[in-house]
Amino acid sequence: MITPSRFFLFSTLLLVFLALTSLSFGAVSLSFLDVINGFFEDSEHYFTIHEYRLPRTLLAIVVGAMMALSGALVQGVIRNPLASPDVLGVSHGAGLAAVLYMTFLPDASTNWLPEVALVGGLLAAIVLWLLCGTSSSAIKLAITGVAMAALYGSAIDFVLLVKPLEVNNALLWLTGSLWGRGWPQLTSLLPWLLLIPLGLGLAKHLNLIDLGDDSAVCLGTKPNIIRLISLATAVGLTASCVAICGPIGFLGLIAPHLTRRLIGGRHQVLLPATLFVGALLLVIADLVARTINPPIELPAGLMTAIIGAPYFLWLLFSLR
Amino acid sequence: MLRSFKLLCLSVLIFALPSLASAVDVEDEKGTFSIEYTPKRIVVLELSFADALAAVGLGPIGIADDKEKSRVLPAVREAIGDWTSVGMRSQPSLEVIASLKPDLIIADIGRHEAVYEDLKKIAPTLMLRSRTETYEDNLAAAAIIGKVVNKNEAMQARLAKHHELMQSYKQTLTVSASFQFGVVNSDLLYLHTEDSYAAGVIKAMGLENAKTGAKDKAYLPVSLEQLLGVNPDYLIVGEYTQPNALSNWKKEPLWKILKSVKNDHISYVNPNTWSRCRGIMAAEQMAQDLVKILTI
Repeated sequence: MITPSRFFLFSTLLLVFLALTSLSFGAVSLSFLDVINGFFEDSEHYFTIHEYRLPRTLLAIVVGAMMALSGALVQGVIRNPLASPDVLGVSHGAGLAAVLYMTFLPDASTNWLPEVALVGGLLAAIVLWLLCGTSSSAIKLAITGVAMAALYGSAIDFVLLVKPLEVNNALLWLTGSLWGRGWPQLTSLLPWLLLIPLGLGLAKHLNLIDLGDDSAVCLGTKPNIIRLISLATAVGLTASCVAICGPIGFLGLIAPHLTRRLIGGRHQVLLPATLFVGALLLVIADLVARTINPPIELPAGLMTAIIGAPYFLWLLFSLR
Repeated sequence: MLRSFKLLCLSVLIFALPSLASAVDVEDEKGTFSIEYTPKRIVVLELSFADALAAVGLGPIGIADDKEKSRVLPAVREAIGDWTSVGMRSQPSLEVIASLKPDLIIADIGRHEAVYEDLKKIAPTLMLRSRTETYEDNLAAAAIIGKVVNKNEAMQARLAKHHELMQSYKQTLTVSASFQFGVVNSDLLYLHTEDSYAAGVIKAMGLENAKTGAKDKAYLPVSLEQLLGVNPDYLIVGEYTQPNALSNWKKEPLWKILKSVKNDHISYVNPNTWSRCRGIMAAEQMAQDLVKILTI
């Protein structure tokens, strides 16, 4: 455990360092001077730096932070550190919508994919809400969500098996990647950033819910309403990110958990801190994915899964 | 005064004309594509486009070859010299493309539409259809590429030669039987149906494609029983892996009652040439393979 002020100082420095690293390394490595020049339009590296690596790095920071916050909110509400936005079925719902769109309308423009995925993700959340209502217990919600996610997941597998022709594109999207994402995607994500202060504002109430519903009510909180707002915020954060980058696995699970181990579970500190951890993780994942075997680009989602799956297993065993 | 003005106008015209004359407008998947110069540094994001450039003696400086140079057809490799790999066809590295400073990019609408805006920032981008194209589509795309690289006459001549060559191969083949091409990996056999590129070449050679019963699908995964349902006279297989699904099928009694097996009309070809490459030279190689299959 480290003190919050130290954590924020250290993680800010690390994030700046990693962002600069991410700007100078890739399939083509550039010197620090080239990176600086790349911000100006007359430089020969203008495209690589300003049009390509900069928006991609910023997107990694924003998406990483949003997914992590979403995970922290869900874990706070479900009161289980093993929960993640995946238990809401949002990313699987978005994935199913995207896969259906790609396989049944192969000639349709891929430019509409983010909107289709976003609608799919939000629909999945609405279905969950209709099934559970506002008054069900957290555990019922989690189990229903996991069941729905499994249902969407098997529907995805079914579609991929029936229509193998389009599998490549669909699989690529399903692993989650930052390839080819730039300023337009970053801009379309901006309105959703409003959810971050909303999420951070829930910190105090989430602490009270952590004490159990009865205590929370006694201390002046309305658990059902807080739960609804938190989950709705988490759904918005996840759905908007998945729509842009595809489902980047495990990020929403490991980022908040790692943060909790670093600085403890008080939500006033945990929620802002997890933004940094999520951003750091995704910037690293994308950097590694781009530089491990250039010019081949691996999906960042593959990287987070490679780190995330063993971490998850270790978590399961150490919790026993 | 007037005379010198006239002279000025004339000289401007004379200097302006050649550049005007080289302006080319073609229709691509995104509307009208126009280019006012002859591109010299070309990056292609599908193998079929490299084939089209090779057909008129041009070499792209970058190819999305999945970082495996052997994916480019040997005949094409010979014609174009060395190139830089720009990564996977599905996710080409935009950084590497930009670092090559191309003056033309040829991309596939099926794979690269999402990065069209980015590609345009690097260089003028010609969007054609490659991945689900038929034999005829491919030749039409080659003709467009010929115009864009200012080699229209050479391309038309090459296409005429191609038709002549295919015709000469066709004349040696007088078999009335059904043909089916498929690729096999470790678990599945994918038949290339009547809508596929390979079937287009088979048809161009005056041969008949087996009826797979697939609708609007270029590739159809089948089991051994379904293969028996199609039951082509000749089965042409491209093996991506070894051993593959066929290794197991060969042990089954059903395998022995396939017409192609009974008459020993099953032959193996390079799956890369037959399925991935697509192009003028690829089609000629496939035609040669067919001649070899039917004359031995």
